[in-house]
Amino acid sequence: MNEIAADCAATVWKVVAAPGDQVREGDVLLILESMKMEIPIEAEDDGVVAEIHVGVGAVVADGDLLVTLEG
Amino acid sequence: MNTPGGFNWPDALSEFDERRARARRLGGERRVARQKDQGRYTIRERIDAVSDSFSEIGEFAVFEEYDALGNRIGTLPASYVCGLARVDGRPVALGGEDFTVRAGAPQSYLDRMKGGMGGFVEDLAHEYKIPLMMFVEGIGGDVAAQEDKGHAYLTSSLSWTRSFELLDEVPVLTMVSGAAVGASAARAVASHFSVMTKDSVIFAGGPPLVKRALGIDIDKHELGGGPAATGCGAVDNLARDEDDAMAQMRAVLSYLPQNVWQLPQRTACDDPVDRRAPELLEIIPENRRQAYRATKVIKAVVDEGSFFEIGSRWGKSLATGLARIDGMPIGVLASNPQHLGGALDAAASEKQVRLMNLCNTFHLPVLYFVDVPGFMVGPQAERANVMRWGVRAIRSVVEATVPIITVQVRKAYGLAVSATANPDRLGLRLAWPSGEWGDLPIEGGVEAAYRREIEAAEDPERMRAEIEARMHSLVDPWRTVEAFGVEHMIDPRETREVVASFLDAGQGALAAAVSPAGQDRRRRR
Repeated sequence: MNEIAADCAATVWKVVAAPGDQVREGDVLLILESMKMEIPIEAEDDGVVAEIHVGVGAVVADGDLLVTLEG
Repeated sequence: MNTPGGFNWPDALSEFDERRARARRLGGERRVARQKDQGRYTIRERIDAVSDSFSEIGEFAVFEEYDALGNRIGTLPASYVCGLARVDGRPVALGGEDFTVRAGAPQSYLDRMKGGMGGFVEDLAHEYKIPLMMFVEGIGGDVAAQEDKGHAYLTSSLSWTRSFELLDEVPVLTMVSGAAVGASAARAVASHFSVMTKDSVIFAGGPPLVKRALGIDIDKHELGGGPAATGCGAVDNLARDEDDAMAQMRAVLSYLPQNVWQLPQRTACDDPVDRRAPELLEIIPENRRQAYRATKVIKAVVDEGSFFEIGSRWGKSLATGLARIDGMPIGVLASNPQHLGGALDAAASEKQVRLMNLCNTFHLPVLYFVDVPGFMVGPQAERANVMRWGVRAIRSVVEATVPIITVQVRKAYGLAVSATANPDRLGLRLAWPSGEWGDLPIEGGVEAAYRREIEAAEDPERMRAEIEARMHSLVDPWRTVEAFGVEHMIDPRETREVVASFLDAGQGALAAAVSPAGQDRRRRR
């Protein structure tokens, strides 16, 4: 189980991956927007997307869970 | 054979074997087994793992165990192991608590401390001017020490002088595995580089103390576990396990000289100094809203495999670390647009100051990749004292004793840019065509400066757009280049070669700084 959390206040701009997707290390799972910048959230390891916890437009804070990967 | 006084060599020499065997037993089988069960090495295993050779001092010092009635039960080896080691061929003062003996408590029962706070191992580093490496695992002071003395003592009677002296003389590197509490925590933190395993804990006071003081219950890992302590910068780096931690200590040591009177060693380099880095054109997005990973930029320019990141888990809008260019050790700073858009907040500013101190102390030139929209704004940033820390970051560059080369990667707005180069030194700034700079980014700047004109216009939206377009034409970086307002504009792919050339020429200045005359000049500043 690999949990990816936001590390700063941001808005969810785009959700790229979906539950069940097979992903590789470095694949972009979703894109946040913060400080006028697009911040890609990447998979840190190979795995399968178990759950995406946020939707487009969601406002997240530092530490909020974004994606859970399996394997 | 009978000799006056009963001394004979065979008996005298047999003492060694017996005492050595006792020293090797550490705190006894049960306690050693517990250490292993909890996934930790013993202090002797750590010393063995990190060093090529080890010449131990104080091997036979003991701690005498008494029961509650004052009867002597027996002896254990003293709770600290130390000596002179060779680490990657270099002499190093090496030591650490033996947690299996009285939880690594201070050796106040000895005539002279071996280590933990001052002590022989620190005196060794100081006198021979060699690095100090410590494996910290201890509960700090404990009430039993009062029993040893027979009275309560003021902590301010204990000397810290040697420990702080060393920070201006030699590399001081620490590892925490297990628990480092109170005085042990402080010792671990008073270092140039500290690393802890993810399962370790470090704090000023543990859960029982917190409960008594604040009435709250808190798990020790939440209070001071690896992620928590490296998340605020109390400890620099996090390690998977002890092997990883020791590898990190050895890595950091490889960039540093034995002491401040020597220069870091320049090593042979396989990576061609004229290697072009076309990947930079891929890494830096054309869309300025898109972020990129700062470490990718660093790795494209420095010697392959040479970048060692320090403090990746805090102050994330700035990446800091050590690297080499053509074999020359350097410090590296790089704005990280993935976090806060690269804005410098209090934490990132503090992290910059820490890296700059390290580089000034050990004569490492600095390479700074700049992509900063300004100091961080907003209530959270202000309350964390971004202003004071930001000023300290500026000061760290203004007072740097080493050469700094600045690369204007992309954004450079506002006062934060004063923390990236010093106009009263060489101030070598190499711009990339992707560079953009000014007092304020156009969007916010136009709103503020032309508010009246925009509001008074028939079509405010159009007026704003026109003003912005005019401003954009002024911010073409080539205009600043033409005015020699930035020292040079380069093709990003040439960065490595240009930087290497200047760093190589600057080695002479570093040598001058460690010469006797250079030391005098430095002392008089």
